[in-house]
Amino acid sequence: MSRGSGGGYDRHITIFSPEGRLFQVEYAFKAVKAAGITSIGVRGKDSVCVVTQKKVPDKLLDQASVTHLFPITKFLGLLATGMTADARTLVQQARNEAAEFRFRYGYEMPVDVLSKWIADKSQVYTQHAYMRPLGVVAMVLGIDEEKGPQLYKCDPAGHFYGHKATSAGSKEQEAINFLEKKMKNDPAFTYEETVQTAISALQSVLQEDFKATEIEVGVVKADNPVFQVLSTEEIDEHLTAISERD
Amino acid sequence: MGDSQYSFSLTTFSPSGKLVQIEHALTAVGSGQTSLGIKAANGVVIATEKKLPSILVDEASVQKIQCLTPNIGVVYSGMGPDFRVLVRKSRKQAEQYHRLYKEPIPVTQLVRETAAVMQEFTQSGGVRPFGVSLLVAGYDDNGPQLYQVDPSGSYFSWKASAMGKNVSNAKTFLEKRYTDDMELDDAVHTAILTLKEGFEGQISGKNIEIGIIGTDRKFRQVSALTLSPFLNILLMEKWPFGFKKCQSLVLTPAEIDDYLAEVE
Repeated sequence: MSRGSGGGYDRHITIFSPEGRLFQVEYAFKAVKAAGITSIGVRGKDSVCVVTQKKVPDKLLDQASVTHLFPITKFLGLLATGMTADARTLVQQARNEAAEFRFRYGYEMPVDVLSKWIADKSQVYTQHAYMRPLGVVAMVLGIDEEKGPQLYKCDPAGHFYGHKATSAGSKEQEAINFLEKKMKNDPAFTYEETVQTAISALQSVLQEDFKATEIEVGVVKADNPVFQVLSTEEIDEHLTAISERD
Repeated sequence: MGDSQYSFSLTTFSPSGKLVQIEHALTAVGSGQTSLGIKAANGVVIATEKKLPSILVDEASVQKIQCLTPNIGVVYSGMGPDFRVLVRKSRKQAEQYHRLYKEPIPVTQLVRETAAVMQEFTQSGGVRPFGVSLLVAGYDDNGPQLYQVDPSGSYFSWKASAMGKNVSNAKTFLEKRYTDDMELDDAVHTAILTLKEGFEGQISGKNIEIGIIGTDRKFRQVSALTLSPFLNILLMEKWPFGFKKCQSLVLTPAEIDDYLAEVE
């Protein structure tokens, strides 16, 4: 006779449930969705673009301080979807790690190495009871010296994959369906096409047309591998281009 | 490891004497993607399905079969993140052995140390067992070897084994097809056929991974590019001329051209 659910703790800390699942990890994924924000990332031929909603819940809030897009180093960006406080912890640790890497090894931390580090840290939280998994899905973007533009997504379970395009947050699945259709034939998007695909994917999935102040856009381009957050004017240009195109 | 608040073991005995957390970990393994290994007379092959969550995932960024040393490779079924932790620890142990003895670590030693790590996590405070079973394939002075390590930390040497979703069908299939004097290329053939048995969808070089090690004692991961013609051969039940002379599965461009000429 085996006990039902291990004393009922399988829902409180990351131990296995009888079906071999980790409920805390699954709940962490739900926390990401509960934040109510959807994010999208698209990798083009020589650039990567990430887009997320910018919801400022109170008019008295300083808009500039509400952000989910963080530069980790000059060349690496991170888009955090989910719980803002967990995101800030993650970003702080990632910035520290990237800086140490640069100091220790003499060259910039590559995108996949940072993503692996983030994912390995997330895995520790799924195995040790003293820390809960973070309620954040992180999209890391940058230009790799050898492999070109890279977009990686790291989740609370400790998985990380390189993506041609991906999404996270409340409308994740709808966005992925949209992007799968767009990327089906392995298109090689130019910089403008990359940004416009990302923004129009978000618009289509959320079924609304955005103003430039309602979204955040971050890009890296091969000819200038610095991570940039687009200004409102630049976002407006892309939005206009999209509406003229349609 | 962990906070002192959690310095009690999370894996404890049930009244019937079972360690239920380990059983649950095995269930997690059993719902993972199928993987298998076959030990031949002159080498070992390990293989796994590589089903990615979406076509948007860049499959070149994912590598399920990993090298622990130049002559030992490993594949898993179960939770990918847990696997990465074990790979990292095993590589470090292999390196420490080499630093101490100036020799490559024997397969049995590495397996034993990895298994010890897995056992630690079933007894230490504040941690859960690993949700992976490993298949370790290596070639050392004792010849080709294949070991399976379970979440409990127990390990056995196998002639052929499978793990994951399709384990029972795969093992039955392997039992029928396995012979003690099998050659490495026959073993690869059998491995692919076994994977194909339970495969949902169209099998191709991009959604399986194969690692081999032969008498040259160099663990090799077969790339999707070299795998595709090989799979085509399999599906057509033909072997390219001269293949059995190859030491490893990496077909040279000339051999690929020979095969392609045959297909047309």
